[in-house]
Amino acid sequence: MSDVKLQNVTKRFDSTLAVDDVSLEIGDGEVLGIVGPSGCGKTTSLRLVAGFETATDGSILYDGEDVTHVPPENRNVGLVFQSYALFNNMTVLGNVTFGPKMQGVGKAERRERAQELLDLLDIGELADRDPQTLSGGQQRRVGLARALAIEPRILLLDEPMTGLDAKLKQTLRQELGDLLDELGVTTLYVTHDQEQAMSMCDRIAVMNEGVVEQVGTPSEVYESPENEFVANFVGTSNLLQGTIRDGRVDFGFTELDAEGLPERDDATIAVRPDDFTVGEGPITAEVQNLFYLGEKVQALATLDDGTELTLELDRHRDSVSVGDALALDIDATHLHVIRQ
Amino acid sequence: MGSRFESGSLSARYGRQFVTLVLAATLVFLALPVVLTFVSSFAGEWVGALPSGFVTLENWNDVIVGTGVGADASVGSSLAYSAGLALAGVLINLIVGVPIAYAVARYEFWGRDWVNVFAILPLAPGIILGIAFLRTYPDLSTSGIALVIGYSLLKAPYMVMAVQSSFQSMDLQQIEESARSLGASWPRTFLTVIVPNAKAGIIAGSIISWTLAAAEFNFSYIVYSRGTPPLSIFLFNNITNASFLNAAAAVSVFFLLIALVTISLQIVGNRGAVRRL
Repeated sequence: MSDVKLQNVTKRFDSTLAVDDVSLEIGDGEVLGIVGPSGCGKTTSLRLVAGFETATDGSILYDGEDVTHVPPENRNVGLVFQSYALFNNMTVLGNVTFGPKMQGVGKAERRERAQELLDLLDIGELADRDPQTLSGGQQRRVGLARALAIEPRILLLDEPMTGLDAKLKQTLRQELGDLLDELGVTTLYVTHDQEQAMSMCDRIAVMNEGVVEQVGTPSEVYESPENEFVANFVGTSNLLQGTIRDGRVDFGFTELDAEGLPERDDATIAVRPDDFTVGEGPITAEVQNLFYLGEKVQALATLDDGTELTLELDRHRDSVSVGDALALDIDATHLHVIRQ
Repeated sequence: MGSRFESGSLSARYGRQFVTLVLAATLVFLALPVVLTFVSSFAGEWVGALPSGFVTLENWNDVIVGTGVGADASVGSSLAYSAGLALAGVLINLIVGVPIAYAVARYEFWGRDWVNVFAILPLAPGIILGIAFLRTYPDLSTSGIALVIGYSLLKAPYMVMAVQSSFQSMDLQQIEESARSLGASWPRTFLTVIVPNAKAGIIAGSIISWTLAAAEFNFSYIVYSRGTPPLSIFLFNNITNASFLNAAAAVSVFFLLIALVTISLQIVGNRGAVRRL
């Protein structure tokens, strides 16, 4: 295991700037997630760390050693792809022992190591199976075992849960989280699914258009988004304009106590859907649409001045229909001012 | 809308039977000449609609021993010669065609579409390629080299297409990158992971290009000058100079050989589908 650093890394493909002056640090044993929309540069960043792309500028360090120009086969990185990418010409055991074999580990030792990993991942009995006969979840575990078998300096996970059904995703998320904790392996986890990243990672880097917008723990990124992009990408935010003065914030449609918020005339304030109290309060909004999401219900409501709000309703308590007028209040303790 | 698919409709009642009938008729139409030829090779004569005078091995004896009117060599030597030439052609196609199929399926590069077009289009018919060869390399026509090169060129598209479809059915980039991240160099990745994963396509491509090369007539007819004749020339001589029944035996030898090669390659392919440790 290693700590990995990206120092002012830039990657340009012809005229496209895929990664723009990115600096990141992944501590020894840390799980860092990179989240962002398609084309934001997260996969390119992972490929730069793996060695499949070479930085146009900047450098990549493993434990302080510059590996920017080291080919991928000499970097000792474990890679797990969304498509599993298992070798179908080999058995499960053949897949898992492939890496140690390339490292020159003896046959008995690599078989023992592979079997241990397969047992750890609860697929010990599948060692002699053809990968093509396994389920998606089992294939994913084989892919993970294969990547871990080389005792990688860093484990790179590229959308490893995408394409699985919700239940399996939940199970694997828990298992993978436990496994990474247990092994303490330095991990870079790339996904467009911010929920996955928040539940699995020690820290998250939010990327957009090749630039890292914010790095922080999941709660820091969610509770204190640094800019509008992060506020909108990580979770849902209502970005409201207001004036903060003398410890109070004036949204136009209501005024609240806002102790601790910086004084500003034209502040953009992020209010999460669950920061609204529904049922009582000075604000009135008309429900335009309701989205039943299973565990919760999201409502789209508009204020008299036309401002749109996204609210979270309690599906047991709040009996709401489209067209209803809702009384709302805002929990001022969670308000967060977006950096201009 | 639904009424069209109800049980009373014409297509629901007779659709399956109709398709089965068309399929069976097509199969019979295609297989009949082969079966009839094979059966007639054991006949004493063929006068009228059907052969008669069963069962005799005289035709096979003529062909195998080489005493037939039309043959100045035995089928064994021609067959072995053509099998060898076709095999050499397949080997060239494997060495050249597999990397081309890989490159086209895996990489984006300048001229990729042109490489693809040149690789999968049989640009010149055998007769034209044969004439061009004779004019350009007149000395080569007395050896098998021209035949080998011609066979490999003419049949390369079948190899490239079969292997390319195998490559396209797998996630080539991620498989390659997984192997490399596990410490395998590129050549090792290619030989131990990529090529074995495309085995089905490679076997299919080899069978098709070998059988077509072993029976290639146009190019052989133009380029061949002396020595042991390739099988297609041998068969042609039998057909033109000997009785049809003699030719039927010669053709049947080739049918059997194709069946044998196909079955054995399939057995090899199935047995080694997954490498056990």
